[in-house]
Amino acid sequence: MIVPILYAVLAGLLVGLSRQLNGRLALSSSPLIASFWNHLVGFVALTALGLAIGGLIPAGAADAPWHAYIGGPIGVIFVASGSWLIPRIGAVNTALLVIGGQMVSGVLLDLARGAPSTLWASALGVVLILGGMALTQRRR
Amino acid sequence: MSSTSRLNPLHLLIAFGTGGLLTLMVFFNGELGRYGNALFSSWAAHGTGTVAALVFLALLYRHRPAAASEPKPRAPLWAYLGGISGAATVMLTSTTVNSPLALAGTLALGLAGQVVFSLAADRWGLFGLPKRRLEWRDLAAVLLILAGSALIILVGMGGRP
Repeated sequence: MIVPILYAVLAGLLVGLSRQLNGRLALSSSPLIASFWNHLVGFVALTALGLAIGGLIPAGAADAPWHAYIGGPIGVIFVASGSWLIPRIGAVNTALLVIGGQMVSGVLLDLARGAPSTLWASALGVVLILGGMALTQRRR
Repeated sequence: MSSTSRLNPLHLLIAFGTGGLLTLMVFFNGELGRYGNALFSSWAAHGTGTVAALVFLALLYRHRPAAASEPKPRAPLWAYLGGISGAATVMLTSTTVNSPLALAGTLALGLAGQVVFSLAADRWGLFGLPKRRLEWRDLAAVLLILAGSALIILVGMGGRP
């Protein structure tokens, strides 16, 4: 159980590292150019990995509906947006507000899809998140 | 740039909206993963993303800002490695969602890791980005947002397969 816990925390650290590196690259080019490099370098790395371990293009892939492929273009805007924000509002604010938006929209998506959820906890969670966001807005 | 204590509301909205994009991205990439596997899903997302980025750049080419009066400093080579870090994230999380941690544990611990990294990044201005002074209010915001997220993930998402 220790190994998955370390992996999950490391994955989070790497999300922060990725945003920090792309933010630095954007300072020398532009957020969209940084996002382009992020995707190209990731694509090359994953291609190499896939060729090494096999199973890159699984049998069922051809059956996926076209909309399953929207994630890539959305990711481009996501990475560009993070790279634009981080030098402006800092790493902590960027991480916190993106997490807040992810959680609140996730709750809404689950409601819309009718996914099972415990409503009181989700609602209270959203309230706490909005409170935390309000704190970033208060004057000194 | 010095740290201002108040965030521009426009920045806040953009960041919040960016989180919404992430929800959609995870949802669509998850769909792709159901038909294929996690590696294929991430590989395809990076491939289509590369093409999409080129299309966006071409569309915006005419609207690019005029050259700045002072040339921008060149980026060090390591600044190009964000994509490696992102690809590694996907490999790690695709392992942990299938461990006893499941999706909820993966999400919760991932958020903790992200916040720890961002606190260190601002405190010491890691990787060439500006240092920012952290105040008690930043920590209070961290606690509230992490507590809210933990509630949503660990209790709110309960009952998911």
